[in-house]
Amino acid sequence: MILRVLATLLAHYRRHPGQLAMLLLGLWVASALWSSVQAVNATAKDSYARANALFSANVDELTRRDGQPLTREDYLTLRRAGLPISPMLEGTLQIDGERLTIVGIDPLTLPSDNTLGGSGDALTAFLTPPWQTQLAPETLDVWGLSRQQAPGATPAVNKNQRLPPLALRPALPPDTLVMDIAAAAALLDRDNTLSQLVTAPGALSQPPDGYRLSRAATLASPEQLTESFHLNLTALALLSLVVGLFIVQAALGLAMEQRLTTLRTLRALGVPAVTLVTAILLELLVFGVLGSALGLASGIWLAGQLLPDVATTLSSLYQADVNQSLVLPWHYWVGSLAITFGGLLLAGSGVLWRAARLNVLALGQSQAWRLAYQRQLKRMTLGAAAVAVLAMGLALWLGRLPPGQGVLASFGFVAALLLASALCLPPLINGVLHLLQRWLRRHPLAHWAVADIQLQLPRLSLAMMALLIALATNLGVSSMVGGFRLTFLDWLDQRLAAPLYINASPSTLAPMLDWLDARPDVAETLPTARGSVDLLAMDDAQQQGARERIALFGITPNPTITNGWPLLETAAGRPAAWASLSANSVFINEQMAVAKQLAPGDEVTLDTPQGTRPFEITAVYPDYGNPRQQILVPTKVLIQRFGGEIASIGLVVDENADRQALRQALADRFDVAPEAMVDQQEIKQLATQIFERTFTITRALNGLTLGVAALALLATLLAQARERQRQLASLWALGVPRKTLTLLPLFQLGGLALFTGVVAIPLGIAITWTLVAIINVAAFGWRLPLYLFPWDMLITLATALGVALAAAALPSLQLWRTSPQAMLNQGAT
Amino acid sequence: MNHSRLSAALVAMACLMLIGCQEPSSDAVPQGFAGLGEDAAAFAQADASTPLRFPEDHGPHPDYRIEWWYLTANLEDDQGEPLGLQWTLFRQALTPPDERPAPSPWAADQVWMAHLGISQGETHAAAERFARSHSEHANGQAGVKAAPFQAWIDDWSLESPSEANFEDFTLQAYSGEGADRFGYTLTLSAQGPLVWHGENGFNAKTVEGQGSRYYSQPFLSITGRVTLNGETREVSGKGWLDREWSSQLLSQQQTGWDWFSLHLEDGRKLMAYRLRGGGPAGGDYLFAHLLAADGQTELIGPGSVTLTPLATHSVAGRDIPTRWSLTLPDVNLQLTVEARHPNRWMPTSVPYWEGDVVVRQAATQENIGVGYLEMTGY
Repeated sequence: MILRVLATLLAHYRRHPGQLAMLLLGLWVASALWSSVQAVNATAKDSYARANALFSANVDELTRRDGQPLTREDYLTLRRAGLPISPMLEGTLQIDGERLTIVGIDPLTLPSDNTLGGSGDALTAFLTPPWQTQLAPETLDVWGLSRQQAPGATPAVNKNQRLPPLALRPALPPDTLVMDIAAAAALLDRDNTLSQLVTAPGALSQPPDGYRLSRAATLASPEQLTESFHLNLTALALLSLVVGLFIVQAALGLAMEQRLTTLRTLRALGVPAVTLVTAILLELLVFGVLGSALGLASGIWLAGQLLPDVATTLSSLYQADVNQSLVLPWHYWVGSLAITFGGLLLAGSGVLWRAARLNVLALGQSQAWRLAYQRQLKRMTLGAAAVAVLAMGLALWLGRLPPGQGVLASFGFVAALLLASALCLPPLINGVLHLLQRWLRRHPLAHWAVADIQLQLPRLSLAMMALLIALATNLGVSSMVGGFRLTFLDWLDQRLAAPLYINASPSTLAPMLDWLDARPDVAETLPTARGSVDLLAMDDAQQQGARERIALFGITPNPTITNGWPLLETAAGRPAAWASLSANSVFINEQMAVAKQLAPGDEVTLDTPQGTRPFEITAVYPDYGNPRQQILVPTKVLIQRFGGEIASIGLVVDENADRQALRQALADRFDVAPEAMVDQQEIKQLATQIFERTFTITRALNGLTLGVAALALLATLLAQARERQRQLASLWALGVPRKTLTLLPLFQLGGLALFTGVVAIPLGIAITWTLVAIINVAAFGWRLPLYLFPWDMLITLATALGVALAAAALPSLQLWRTSPQAMLNQGAT
Repeated sequence: MNHSRLSAALVAMACLMLIGCQEPSSDAVPQGFAGLGEDAAAFAQADASTPLRFPEDHGPHPDYRIEWWYLTANLEDDQGEPLGLQWTLFRQALTPPDERPAPSPWAADQVWMAHLGISQGETHAAAERFARSHSEHANGQAGVKAAPFQAWIDDWSLESPSEANFEDFTLQAYSGEGADRFGYTLTLSAQGPLVWHGENGFNAKTVEGQGSRYYSQPFLSITGRVTLNGETREVSGKGWLDREWSSQLLSQQQTGWDWFSLHLEDGRKLMAYRLRGGGPAGGDYLFAHLLAADGQTELIGPGSVTLTPLATHSVAGRDIPTRWSLTLPDVNLQLTVEARHPNRWMPTSVPYWEGDVVVRQAATQENIGVGYLEMTGY
């Protein structure tokens, strides 16, 4: 019997294919967005897991205290002294614009359960000519090789060199080539020098004399760093899912409404309520399967489109390598299906509830509905109040957390805020409509229009809630991105003070500096340097505790730099801060200030080659785009006292100097490519480009969410268009011109949407504030000033209006085209 | 950047696990224990054509595939408690002589592996080291020099002074840190001649003729200090140093061996082994060499010994024979050889059993000696 009932129910969609399309569209959109973001996240997680498989076997690292590069002699001396260290050589290869990392290892000494036993063949192949290149299958894309062609292939590196035969190792991270250290040394043309000496964590309690020991555990894994980024994506996707489910809900509600007669007839014919509910459940299942299949398929397509941007973002922001092709584990499929089905059931629960409690004798009565809706509004107000209390509680709690924490709670706060606002929207609209109704008592048609929209409100409220959420999020996110953009560009302008920059290896830059200083056409050289230092945690008794490796950055504190260099906080004003920097104080970046809760005036204890001593922090500077903590010292100090290396040279040339000639002279004198000298503008352009790509996915998802909200509204309006025609027919019969009748819904809905838009603006600002003041600090370690963009707000209002008008236009058009005859017929039936 | 450097290390680690996890190829042809039966035609072949030459032969033979410097010792601590120890340096050629990579700082044609073992009572401590070298580089992470004799890997070393080359030695090897540290510093002194196990020092290992160059110094007297269980004690006793190299030690049918080096109280020394497989009529290949107290051969040859397991013990999930009957019918010697403790498993990359044994008269069960037993392929 169930099947027959099901067939009867489904027959409805044969008469109304539009409703079926709408239902599937809703499911499709909801599930597509959700599954695409989840696919992106799953792929990123897989990449981190691979990196982490390596991270799980963290290593400690030795470096020379005198800052000299490590050599094979260091290795042999330390080994002969009994230290369980292993040499490692790392470098990069540029192949067709792709950057590949070469890692040369000595498997015999690497700290792990290494084995010579079993079949020694694998080890022999790895250790002896022609050696072996181990790589993840994804890396093959660089050469366009298939997995079948790959094993044993020897792709060319340059004119004279080829890679050792390839061997696939799926567990390796992409774009990483692992080979024996002898093969790597040959490829990288590095005879005797090493990149690092590593040892198992904790294997050494003390560094040997002349060396520094850095513990591995102090470096955060990419998974930790990017956690909030993925949470961000998930939150946006969840939003799309919710909005998509609004469509489904609207479509199901409409279908239910129109099938009430059929359902009653079925019940009157003796179909038990259970059978009816089961049949509807089955119907939902059928839609679920169809919708999620469609959604998954397009979600994966969409993820493929988004992934390159995400990968760029993650690598430029966190130096976290993410696979460029999708990797989808089984739980991804199950999870996506479960979410779609769960959402569908949730959206359909109202329908099921009504079917179960179907009153065989009741007639569809709008007024009765209205009374029920008044009760619903009361419940909504109560719910909104409850959620608002929750939001306030979360806000209070967040306020007490140290900065840089509580990403999840912040998202919870945003969600609660959105939900509370959405819940209080219908009561609010209802109240406003009541006032309007009183005010418009002398304008019968307007009065009617307001009463009519009140009648529609039960159906429209869900769509309006969706619109509110989408608009507010849109405004919030776009203000955040816009504000960030302004701050970032401003910051770039201040940081990039020199008109020209030269990038090359430290060994080239050091002699280049002297050469440049001697040239008459060079007005000023501003070298920067990089290095690292162990930061010692001091307890109350000033005893040394844990140590952590912190990056050092060196700048040349000439007026050219210091005049513009952005500082967030200083101990005693800018001039004093710069004066102190040259006198043994340090600046720290905002990330470090947030993470370590340090402020100007505090001290940090650093383990310098000359010994351990405290340094005063005299300023905190913004350092956007850097995921890590950093200490700033003058370049000279960094090189001479911290064993750092020169990293780049900023160059101020005379106004009438021939830049091209200088470029050429540099290229001729030092074996560097002409591109090594970059214009400030080029760097800015590149940085801006990276910035834009970083937020491409945010913008894309944001736009899609708004699109989904528009669809939800359209779906709702279409759902009740027929019923409305009946009511409008009566008005028409009373003599209201058809033109007025057609325009009326546009005004009604436009007004409603405009109101929703107005409510969305303060909500959007609240979201922006949460994003820049809490979520960004926790996710990136920097706080942005809150920028408000009135233009964006206007656009939000216009969007709301546009969406509503577009959605209302279709039913109005239908009305316009309906013949008076048909309209009257509508009234009769 | 720290991060990228770190990730490089991690990548390497993963890779290593991959190498380590690679399953042995499921070839139908057995390869003997630890690949020692693999075909090695491109390497130099051990035979009896020329006599051993010293001091050259104390040094490495990189043209041969495998080689070892193998010391075992039966000692007593200052409390009179017996204590056994082992120190072995293995060399394995990665490539045949004509396929060696050109010398460069990291290019390698030899891999070195060293094992350190100390056992007393229930305690059995073991450690393992690896290194690479190029046969044209003299001073690497591991290596051996013939004169003055020096064998080393990292900070482990066995060395002779030039005035008493391969007669006096110092041995030093420690592993671990703090309370977990164990190892020894020993002085070794030869009390008798070097012993050649076969014509010109060639010792056949199968009826087909595969074998190795093999000589020993079984007359070592040892004193020194051993650190174990957080304590350092004075020790003294007897030691046995084996030198062996080959390119094809085993036939492909041989899956393992049981190897005895025994110090009898009357001053005689006995080396005996059973290679499982590769013997006459598909049976085991057995060999014994009995030496008088002055180093003269009393008995040598295949087929002169019978070895029968009397009792097995479950060690590391395997059934290991820990009590043996050893008989030399020609000289009327019937012995029972028993492990002092079954817990002598070496959990190294190539795992095996190696431990100190007591030697008894089979008839009276009277103690008449001590020694070492190595069992592989179980």
